[in-house]
Amino acid sequence: MLAQSAPLVPLVTPSANDLLDLLPELIVGFGFIALMLLDLVVGRQRWWLAVAAIVFLAAGFGASVWGWFDSGNGHTLYFGSFAYDKFSMFINCVLLFSSALVILISPHYLNRRGIHHGEYYALILAATLGMMLLAGAMSLMVIFLGIEGLSLSLYILSGFSRTEERSQEAALKYLLLGGFASGFLLYGMALVYGETGHTQLQQIGAALHSTTQADPMLLAGVVLIFVGFAFKASLVPFHTWTPDVYQGAPTSVTTFMSVTTKVAAFAVIVRVFTYTFVSLYSHWEVIVAVVAIASIVVGNVAALTQTHVKRMLAYSSIAQAGYILIGVAVGTLSNTSSSITGTTGVLYYLAAYAVTQIGAFAVITIMAGRGEDLDSYDGLRGLAYRRPFVAAAMGLFLLSLGGFPPTVGFFGKFFVFAAAVNANLTLLALWGIAGSAISVFYYLRVALLMYQRPKDEQQEYPWSRTTIAGGTALLAAAAGTLVFGILVAVVFNGAQAAQNAILPAIASTR
Amino acid sequence: MNRVPWLTLMIVLPIGGAMLLQLVPARMTSVIRGVTVVFATAVTCIAGGLLFNLPHMAASGTQPLSLAFQEQRDWIPAISASYHLGLDGLSGWLVMLNSGLFLVAALAVSRSDAERLRRYCALMLVSEGAIAGTLLAADLLLFYLFWEGMLIPLYFILSGFGGPRRGQATLKFIVYTIAGSLLMLVAILWLYFASGAHSFDLESLIINPPPAQSVMVIPGINVSTFTPQDLVFIGFAIAFAIKLPLVPFHTWLPELYVQSPATTLVFFAGIVGKMGAYGFIRYGLTLFPSSINTFKWLFAALAVTGIIYGALMALSERDIKRILAYASLSHLGFIALGIFTLTTNGISGAIIQMVNHGIIIAALFLIAGYIERRTGTRDLSEMAGLEKRMPWLYVLFLVATLASLGMPGTNSFVGEFAVMLGAFQLGWPLAVVALGGTVIACWYMLRLHQGLMHDPLKPATEHVHDIRLSEGLVLAPLVALIILLGVFPKPVGDIASPAASQYVSLASQPVAPPSFGT
Repeated sequence: MLAQSAPLVPLVTPSANDLLDLLPELIVGFGFIALMLLDLVVGRQRWWLAVAAIVFLAAGFGASVWGWFDSGNGHTLYFGSFAYDKFSMFINCVLLFSSALVILISPHYLNRRGIHHGEYYALILAATLGMMLLAGAMSLMVIFLGIEGLSLSLYILSGFSRTEERSQEAALKYLLLGGFASGFLLYGMALVYGETGHTQLQQIGAALHSTTQADPMLLAGVVLIFVGFAFKASLVPFHTWTPDVYQGAPTSVTTFMSVTTKVAAFAVIVRVFTYTFVSLYSHWEVIVAVVAIASIVVGNVAALTQTHVKRMLAYSSIAQAGYILIGVAVGTLSNTSSSITGTTGVLYYLAAYAVTQIGAFAVITIMAGRGEDLDSYDGLRGLAYRRPFVAAAMGLFLLSLGGFPPTVGFFGKFFVFAAAVNANLTLLALWGIAGSAISVFYYLRVALLMYQRPKDEQQEYPWSRTTIAGGTALLAAAAGTLVFGILVAVVFNGAQAAQNAILPAIASTR
Repeated sequence: MNRVPWLTLMIVLPIGGAMLLQLVPARMTSVIRGVTVVFATAVTCIAGGLLFNLPHMAASGTQPLSLAFQEQRDWIPAISASYHLGLDGLSGWLVMLNSGLFLVAALAVSRSDAERLRRYCALMLVSEGAIAGTLLAADLLLFYLFWEGMLIPLYFILSGFGGPRRGQATLKFIVYTIAGSLLMLVAILWLYFASGAHSFDLESLIINPPPAQSVMVIPGINVSTFTPQDLVFIGFAIAFAIKLPLVPFHTWLPELYVQSPATTLVFFAGIVGKMGAYGFIRYGLTLFPSSINTFKWLFAALAVTGIIYGALMALSERDIKRILAYASLSHLGFIALGIFTLTTNGISGAIIQMVNHGIIIAALFLIAGYIERRTGTRDLSEMAGLEKRMPWLYVLFLVATLASLGMPGTNSFVGEFAVMLGAFQLGWPLAVVALGGTVIACWYMLRLHQGLMHDPLKPATEHVHDIRLSEGLVLAPLVALIILLGVFPKPVGDIASPAASQYVSLASQPVAPPSFGT
């Protein structure tokens, strides 16, 4: 299939409306620059930067909520290269909420580790901006812009502990493999562009829709694009960087990247695969399903043998990504008129995962010792005796990750597996269920350790005190985990509305 | 007409009590025990009141389950899952048993581990709430929520308190149970999508069953011999069979019972062990009438195997807790046998026997706990002659022993008799083999009782003293109930029988001719 050359986009200045609809991104982008400048002013009073960052993120969150109601059925901005729809606003809300929680737990942690530098906050905002671009990207160019925006910031952030070898190793590993991933992604994009002649997702979708037979070159492009995304979402077999980077990076950075990167990556996977490449579904379904199963198996089995919480959570996050990918593999298939679809499941799971995973990592961050992380299983023993509320919160997060009701994590799994059963992919759901059964082992193991007696009553325990900011973050995450596990309808209706209003609005053939 | 959400209260009160306990300083053990007992008593009073009023509540309308005291609120309207609670003769008795046993456990809770008393009491109350929720839910998603959620407090209770090898035993139990319940989750999802109703509500699923010919594709498995309903039923059945437990799925039980303290066993053996049986009646019979008729011979055979296997194992053990654990397995076989007769007699017998067994096993494990605490051993061969040192315990133990072996005049006779009637209706060989189980039951229970109580004293039993008044007051009501329900079983039967016949009629399908005559 040889497409005609794309019509040249007229170079006119975008309308003011387009600019206004981009408000959440603009706020965060402006915040990034403002924080860089503010850093020069505040001197050693760096907590001001955290306050400012939270103000910007909250403003962005407010703008996203406003955009949620304002966007209606959604439309594109800038000649079809950016989406203004409920889907991106949903993702924006999750991203900004997560980033704000990360900022809350950061100052204390960075101080304790002795790496409290001003650019940290600016970089977090820059990475958030990149992710928001990914969430709304409707063009291959914007997707690449978003991926690079978040990656460049995260390369620096993961090596933020400049004097520590581990952190350096993490940064280098992430940089090298991330560079490879970007290469794959670009190559795939080039192939898809070469086959369809478009960079805009809607036009690509339309071009694919009108073809009956898929060109091998096009399929190669699709697979390479998937590889690029899979690196970012740390899916097997592109996950090898995950444990080392998660463990080596400062914990607040790990918190940030383990949650927000995945959210953004899955947002773009859904937009590109579930909706743009919908007519190639029969080709990529198997690949996605196999990657999902591999992630679930490898993530869960590897997590079983870990002895450090950060590393365990890293492997378990691979498995979590596998569960989410089941929702992608379901695509838009639905046997019944039921409202449970793959995309709804993915969106619900992302929200659930974000609030739970941030909480779990926040506990490690809050408990950090002076100059080092205390995240070995032995170090957690007896936490419940010293810090009953922190331990209770951690228990809640672990149960949610393990998918126990009545937590939000259960319903994340529930909706994804339900979508799979709805699409007659019962076997995929059974794989997911086998994985969750395994995961119960290692989550409960940590939960139980916290409730065992400390080994030596006399020993001075090195856990730091919980600050007000950290406590607030923990409380918010715990409340979200529990409340949305009971009042499920709130998030579910949101996910459903986001799914219904997603662009590109090419009539689905399935 | 009933403005007070009594059923919700039965779930929320214990959980609220557990939260309240967190405000009490851990040192004030008396206050902690007091609060726990008060909350457990309150729930027991509610359960008793509801049960008393249950026969007077007009069966409500056209609904197939005729649930009383219903509460229904939207929960996740987009997928028509609702917060729907209801009480019938089956769940009524089990809720009563639940609250009663937790009250007993709250009274019997040991003072020795004062440091962790608050956590134990709180977890106990949360378990009570979750179990009540499981029994009251009339919506499959809500049921699953409580069914699985119940494992959280149970996990911390079982793995935190008890013998040295409790961790492994608990892990086995939890993994077994989770594997089963996750299978059930897939089954629930399939039902939801296959049924025309697209609802998780139990009653609307009964009214709108999935079409019989719908196709389920499981690559790699030849499904031609079973209908999809059968496979889905198996998903449910494995979850329930593990929890019950039926014989091939029972391996978690003995070790867990041995490792757990008596207080835990009061409610764990007493009520948690009944959840599988409850699930079979409430969900198996109503949602899969044709499948359960297909599989009833298999499950009845497993039940009878369990009766004999448990009895023989009980006969061969020397550890008193292990004997009781296997005895419990054997008696649970009777309950299962009653269910799978699919007759009114059998099922009402099973319901009655669930209540009876809960009372008896709680008493027996408490007694075993008292003996172990005094002698420091559980080995039958090291103990003898306790009647000389513990005359009060001797009497109470005697009644519980006789009840356990099904002596007429005790409550267990009534239930086992009804189960036997049902078993004869299904097929006489089953009943004969099951009767063999009761004969062995006489043997091992009397062996246990005589071995502990008679003969000259041994070193371990030389210096023991009798149970204290407080311990006797915990046991006495249980023993009184054993005799009371044995001579006057009418109230239990009156409530259980209508429920049983209702479930039988829901499960009634054109039955395949039995393979051997009755």
